[in-house]
Amino acid sequence: MKASGAIISSWKQISGQNRDVLKTVGALAVICILAVLLSPKSADGSYIFLQLGNLTDILRQVSIVGIISLAMNFVILTGGIDLSVGSILALSTTVVALVLTRWQPGLSYSLEIALAVFVALAVSTAAGTLSGAVIAIFDVQPFVVTLAGMIGIRGLAKWLSSNANVDVGFGQDVASRFAEIFRGKAVTIGCYIVLAIIFAILLGRTIFGRYVRAVGDNERAALYAGLPIRRIKLWVYSLSGLLAGFAGVLYAAENHQGNPNAGVGYELDAIAAVVIGGTQLSGGKGTVMGTIVGTLMIGVLTNMLRLNNIDSNVEMMVKGGIILLAVALQKQGKRV
Amino acid sequence: MILQLSDISKRFDGVRALQGASFSLVAGDVHALMGENGAGKSTLAKIIAGTIASDGGEFLVEGSPVAVRGPQDAQRLGISIIYQELDLFPHLTVAENLAIGNHQFKESGFVRITDLDHFAQPFLNQVGLTCGPRCEVRTLSMGERQLVAIARALSMRAKIILMDEPTSALFDDSVERLFNLIGALKSQGVAIVYVSHKMDEIFRICDRVTVMRDGKTIGTRAIHEVSSAELIGMMIGREWQARDRKPSKSNQEAVLSFSGVKTAKLRDVSFDLHKGEVLGIAGLLGSGRTEIGFALMGLDGLQNGRIDLRGKAMSIKSVKKAIDAGIRWLPEDRKLDGLMMQMTILENGTISDLAPVSWLGFINRRRELKAAMSPFDALSLKYSSTSLAVNTLSGGNQQKVLLSRCLLGNPDVVFLDDPTRGIDVGAKEDIYQLIEQLASQGKGILLVSSELPELLRCCDQILVMKEGQIAATVNAGQTTQQEILTLATHAPAVIGGLN
Repeated sequence: MKASGAIISSWKQISGQNRDVLKTVGALAVICILAVLLSPKSADGSYIFLQLGNLTDILRQVSIVGIISLAMNFVILTGGIDLSVGSILALSTTVVALVLTRWQPGLSYSLEIALAVFVALAVSTAAGTLSGAVIAIFDVQPFVVTLAGMIGIRGLAKWLSSNANVDVGFGQDVASRFAEIFRGKAVTIGCYIVLAIIFAILLGRTIFGRYVRAVGDNERAALYAGLPIRRIKLWVYSLSGLLAGFAGVLYAAENHQGNPNAGVGYELDAIAAVVIGGTQLSGGKGTVMGTIVGTLMIGVLTNMLRLNNIDSNVEMMVKGGIILLAVALQKQGKRV
Repeated sequence: MILQLSDISKRFDGVRALQGASFSLVAGDVHALMGENGAGKSTLAKIIAGTIASDGGEFLVEGSPVAVRGPQDAQRLGISIIYQELDLFPHLTVAENLAIGNHQFKESGFVRITDLDHFAQPFLNQVGLTCGPRCEVRTLSMGERQLVAIARALSMRAKIILMDEPTSALFDDSVERLFNLIGALKSQGVAIVYVSHKMDEIFRICDRVTVMRDGKTIGTRAIHEVSSAELIGMMIGREWQARDRKPSKSNQEAVLSFSGVKTAKLRDVSFDLHKGEVLGIAGLLGSGRTEIGFALMGLDGLQNGRIDLRGKAMSIKSVKKAIDAGIRWLPEDRKLDGLMMQMTILENGTISDLAPVSWLGFINRRRELKAAMSPFDALSLKYSSTSLAVNTLSGGNQQKVLLSRCLLGNPDVVFLDDPTRGIDVGAKEDIYQLIEQLASQGKGILLVSSELPELLRCCDQILVMKEGQIAATVNAGQTTQQEILTLATHAPAVIGGLN
């Protein structure tokens, strides 16, 4: 009795935001325990779920949507939304593959790879910035602007590649070298971790991060307090484009192709991860840690269902249920 | 007794909002409910109106126990509430606002506009609203909207009407109209629960007053048996005395001057604000008093005229530029225009002044906290931790956080737009003292207020605004509320001699 009292009182001392993060971490722990309990066993009697290879597989699988959702979290924190990230990812895969396979600038391999990655990131950032500019300057709803971006940018990717995949080979040419470098498990996971740390610092420690939350919390008050609203909005959509482009580079390497049809629905997966992670869709409230946990929850859940050979359609139904459950849990206990 | 509540309790998230509150209402009475912010008067009002459910206690209407589980139950019992924010639908017409969710209006899936008109018109006549049933609510002034809300309550056949701070957004002429209406309702046997901070109003229109403190009802008195000092004593639990400000010497140089300023809402506004001066701005809502702040902060572009700061012309295109130039502004509505409600107390205090406590864009949290402590202390802000969300504070303390934001940059000019609106007596006094202190530090202060006694108390000179123009400038020491009110409402010809 005493112990539970102590737990309750220390729970109350934790600030609201940390409490929400702890709640999502708790939910992740529950799913992990479930995954262990339900995990099939390998020949030597160990749980397949807990094998190092499986755990790193999960991380790798979530990395691409995970990277997109880091920036999506910022966009949603300002009270916006970015539906164009899936299409930007496709554009980026296409551009990086096209530069590597169709353009022979006569540079060394490493320089040419750097150039290809740079061009893909620049194009992606430009696409994000364009949405951001329209949203910030003309004050149009982000949903509409990025919906237009989602359609238009997908068209651009298809047009650039003449509607076909741009294959990145398995040989000794520069494109194959690129794929070899960027498709490693360690590289993909490493990129996700490094970006996650950078975004956590951005949100928690910098003026920019503080402004991002302020704009989403109360835009008028932020304007009246002298915050550069337009610049902040422009920046978050630029970042969103940049990270979607980065995810596209990793995607192209992993799948050995530039694919203008890649990333369909990724924007919704990223939004789901952000929302499960406790970020408020109307903006102002949310953490990077929450978004990471939300991403991992989806990853672990998918892995658990797949290890048990559950139909992928059932998987989608379960995911939908989890999103509803997560949001319902966050609503609970709040003042009406 | 038309209504009797006893031993009502209510907890929010484990915090006790009401405990053992009791309240009884006589038909045809205007009964004031007073108390500082957080005393529980709004919670009690909402429980009576069925908006929130009580945790325990007895609820009797005309002597028989009832269960009020929602606003619909309250409506059936003839109880209606008019919120401070007036919960009307701005894009619907007046008649639609009256009919929506109203048991008295019989509807069958389809609604005929003429039925709506016939339903609404008698009640509009009763409250004296002339705009007609078909105009949209968003086109009406605050005072007119209030009349719509009252008409809505009447159309529900309400026998008990609760009004939560009904005059907080009104200037004195609309207040007058409201009071006449309350008098008429009273004579028809309607009982009114009047939640307010304003002492003079309560003495004018109420028959009885119940004072609340810390979630308890402290006592109920007949109005003619009680003094305002006694009521304030009951509210804050100690003796309280109003102190009057000694006028500051304002013969110093002008720190801010407007010359012939014209914006979308202002016409030919000229004045000088001196160092150490408190310049009051009186006027009706929409008279241009708030718009002076908008012009000052670069939110409304100048079409003509000039603004000089410290003797130099300046062109301010954004709030950021105004802040950098040493001007600070406390907006009118702290929830809509001022605070980021989910952010912490500290974050709200420092949001405009992060650069000095940062290095390369990284915030040094220790320096941030240190910088914020001095204005927090100067205003005797009450908090348990600066890392709690600002919405955990009472209204008065929220306002102090916003004022701290104004002080942090050590500005030369401060524009305070109705800084004491809807906050309790103790916090008001803290704010008056702060204004005095700022003036003595040589800052120029522009003070907008809806409460004339406040202007008379705090200011040296008072600009009276009317229809975007300065109708007159009066000396606070030599004028009366009556005079200011006349200047703010009457035609320029009448006040010509006074200018």
